Amino acid sequence: MAMASSSFVYVTYIRAPQRKVWDALTKPEFQKQYWFGMHQQTDWKPGSPWKLLFEDGRVADMGEVLEFDAPNRLAIKWRNEIRPDFKEEGFTRCVMSLENDGELTRLTIDHSIDREGAKIITEGISNGWPKILSSLKSMLETGSALARFKA
Amino acid sequence: MAGTQFIYVTYIRSTMEKVFDALMKPEFTRRYWSGTTQVSDWTKGAAWAIFTPDGRKFDDGEVLEIDPPKKLSVTWRHLNAPQMTAEGFSRLTYVLEPQGSVVKLTLTHEIDVENSKLIGAVSTGWPAVMAGLKTLLETGEPIAEFSRWPEGM
Repeated sequence: MAMASSSFVYVTYIRAPQRKVWDALTKPEFQKQYWFGMHQQTDWKPGSPWKLLFEDGRVADMGEVLEFDAPNRLAIKWRNEIRPDFKEEGFTRCVMSLENDGELTRLTIDHSIDREGAKIITEGISNGWPKILSSLKSMLETGSALARFKA
Repeated sequence: MAGTQFIYVTYIRSTMEKVFDALMKPEFTRRYWSGTTQVSDWTKGAAWAIFTPDGRKFDDGEVLEIDPPKKLSVTWRHLNAPQMTAEGFSRLTYVLEPQGSVVKLTLTHEIDVENSKLIGAVSTGWPAVMAGLKTLLETGEPIAEFSRWPEGM
């Protein structure tokens, strides 16, 4: 391995068209339903600022759009603003990749940082994504997100 | 210890008992796990195996721990690829926890072999199996692609 790093990779399959999965990942009206009531604020142009906001408007995470190739690939430079020990570790990089697979969309999240044993990965990101993505899948397949992970 | 591990967590809107049953019982596994069936009497120390829809034994092992509906652990040896069979027995553990209206399911598949080919292979398989399980339990309709055995395997 060329560089010390930590990463979290999660794959799921969602029975929904790729475009719907893409919209659910990028549009606030969907995000609010499955992502603890949070939503993202950005114009999605590469280089533009990106923020993840709590329901009350406080900034949970911030960064920058690195890539935006609808409806296939999205990359975000991403730093937690809430926990000092996470923030101190600096910017992570989150890549979301979508692939059409018949009636399914295969969604891969690859969230990493150039730092070995990073707490943001082991304590933050690896706990959060399974909840968010389980709730997203429920929302798209059944019409309602998981109540536990609503606001 | 040197080894290889794959961990996957999913949250399913269902009950503990249904998720536990769906992990073991043929009437469920056939519908989301590539048409496969597990055979065991599900007591500690009992033999355990996965069979393909055409009756081939694909993986085998024994039950290490069973505590319905909270925990199930089995040893697991793959039988269809000699390189993986040679790695010996891995361990698969499911842990279920109730969290309000959802069940948190944590799957850990590990082996005391570094850079294991078996764990590499199951790492690509488990996300599909877990997605199929969640879809079946939440919608009642299996994912068609995951209810069939893959051609040529």
